[in-house]
Amino acid sequence: MVFKSLSRTALFGVAIAACVAGQASAADPIKIGGAFNLTGGQASLDGPAKNGAQMAIDAINAAGGVNGRPLELVVYDGKTDPAIITSLASQLINSDKVSAVIGFSDSDPVLALGPTAQKAGVPFVAVGATSPKLPDQIGDHMFLACFGDNTQAAVGASFAITELKAKTTYVLEDTANEYATLLSKYFRETFEQLGGTVLGRDTYKTDDKSFAAQITKIKASAQKPDFIYVAATPDTIGLIVRQIRQAGLKQPIVGGDGYDTPLLLEVAGAAANNVYYTTHSFITETSTGAIKTFYDAYKTAYGTAPENAFAALGYDAAMLVADAIKRAGSDDPAKITTALAETKDLPGIAGAISYAAGSRIPVKGVTVVGVKDKALYKAAELVPTFVPAP
Amino acid sequence: MNRILILAGLASLALCAWVLPLIVSDYVVRLLIMVCINIVLVGSMCLANGFTGVFSLGQVGFVAIGAYVSGILSLSLADKASYLPDLPMFLAHIEMATLPATLIAGLVCAAIAIVVGLPLMRLSGHHVSVATMGFMIIVNVVIINADSFTRGARTFTGVPTDMTLPWVVGWAVLAIFLLARLIYSPIGLALRSVREDVIAAQAVGLPVLGTRLLAFSFGAFLAGVGGSLYGHYLGSFSAQTFFFPLMVSLITMLVLGGMSSLSGVVTGVIVVTALSEMLRNLERGVHLGPVSIPPLFGASQVVLGLLFILVMIYRPRGLFEDREISSVFKRRKQRSNS
Repeated sequence: MVFKSLSRTALFGVAIAACVAGQASAADPIKIGGAFNLTGGQASLDGPAKNGAQMAIDAINAAGGVNGRPLELVVYDGKTDPAIITSLASQLINSDKVSAVIGFSDSDPVLALGPTAQKAGVPFVAVGATSPKLPDQIGDHMFLACFGDNTQAAVGASFAITELKAKTTYVLEDTANEYATLLSKYFRETFEQLGGTVLGRDTYKTDDKSFAAQITKIKASAQKPDFIYVAATPDTIGLIVRQIRQAGLKQPIVGGDGYDTPLLLEVAGAAANNVYYTTHSFITETSTGAIKTFYDAYKTAYGTAPENAFAALGYDAAMLVADAIKRAGSDDPAKITTALAETKDLPGIAGAISYAAGSRIPVKGVTVVGVKDKALYKAAELVPTFVPAP
Repeated sequence: MNRILILAGLASLALCAWVLPLIVSDYVVRLLIMVCINIVLVGSMCLANGFTGVFSLGQVGFVAIGAYVSGILSLSLADKASYLPDLPMFLAHIEMATLPATLIAGLVCAAIAIVVGLPLMRLSGHHVSVATMGFMIIVNVVIINADSFTRGARTFTGVPTDMTLPWVVGWAVLAIFLLARLIYSPIGLALRSVREDVIAAQAVGLPVLGTRLLAFSFGAFLAGVGGSLYGHYLGSFSAQTFFFPLMVSLITMLVLGGMSSLSGVVTGVIVVTALSEMLRNLERGVHLGPVSIPPLFGASQVVLGLLFILVMIYRPRGLFEDREISSVFKRRKQRSNS
């Protein structure tokens, strides 16, 4: 009996607390849609991205919100299923009436959500999708928060020429994946533009387990390439690097942000020495300044170090939208779109963001990460001089 | 009397399809469109899987072919030039409306089903399941490699998104009508006798291969039509859209409702869609007065899986087993008459 009344009192207390909390946060927040694939195939990218975005929103609210109003991240799980993504697009835009949408790290889900946002005139900032074709495919309300693949491929090429003093290369690409196919295309264009020679090119598929045929061809080629460019996705890169080294090829291996996964060191181990990849940001315990602050805050909030660069991109995307709302001085989607397009030198964890006139892909520095003795280090940060057309 | 009832039902359904989009939110309309498309897709599976006893796991392969064929045919000429520059001449200059593209997609699937079915429909039991699953994987690989037709692994985009509620309701009704005419006819009896006992069916002179092939290819036709509708609903899709996850979700709807019942098909689609949408919205966190549950993303799949296990324990042959709503009414009438 005592127990029962006790629990009733406790319940009453919780009720009051909940009511108070409810009233405090009901100061008419500005809603930002957060569309992420938190389960399914893309969870490893979108999960950290969502955490990063939520952290940014919490930080802004702790500092008093934007224009005197708090921000609210309305999160939906797309479950890596296009049918669900079109449904949640409608929920975000038509039911929740969000002022802007951020989310997704791949072009498929972006293309599923984008048209709905575009039709309603709501700005949509893709967190980690790097296909530079997206803004033109969807329309003038579509923005990318990270560089396009043409930019990172260009940096890969110019890094190889200036830092690795390379003149010739051999390209290996994954043809079962849009990202890798485009990356390879952009890389070859830039490398030849900058005076390099592509000695040969070979392909494989994401699910392949043995690359012996391709590697034998590289070994057999008359002229030895100065380095090998491998356009790969996270799940295969470790295996490829290990097999290339086992075959006795010691040249540097260069690639894109698909390498930005713990699997590179876990699978390839010591074989990963002399691997270089272009990515959004280099976040480790030893980072300094804003990146260090971000690293620590993330660890405090989620009990783990940022899993990959997508955590930083999620954070930056939320900050980007918050900054646009502040400059627009309104939660009107059309004004936010205009303000977004005028973004200039907004500091971010994954590099400062500016949009050149007419372009909705940010001009950003690209970080080059290298591997030495089973550890990653920041090899360079470059802005490309020549970028191939998307 | 019955005919009048059916006509009245159809008329009110048509009225709903026209009027609902004006009243309810866009989100609900989208869900209803998905329900209708899934009725076509799951309906396409029940013919072979439920009524003929050929448990095909390859239906999603036909859905994929339907979506891509119709997508290629209905892409605008400008989009075709930029997305698919290497298309052969006879395709590069075609821009079709959705209806003919959908019908052609269905016919292409039926034709492929006859070619594929000739060897596969000789198999029985789980052999046919594995073989048809192989077909789905082959379709996936072909789509990824047929770059000039499908953009390979890249997203196929630019398909006109012109699926409206009246349109898909029409297709769902037509699909159920065609299936009902086929299933509750002498041909339908032949399908079921092939399912129940192959040897007995042969003994009374039924061509087992021909009967199975009919069910398989008609199912493929509907799958192609459904795939085209799905493609025109999404607007952009890739080879991964039509793979194991879609297959599992369609089979869940089919088995939950009851594989050999058209009422089961419709119920299975509605129940699974309603439940998964409800749970998806609940998992985002609930605030009911004093009680508030934090968001638990992924919980909806877990709960749905558990529910599915419970249904399989208590109703292993699905909610409707092999009965129809109409037969339930008839039985009641008989009981009240006696």
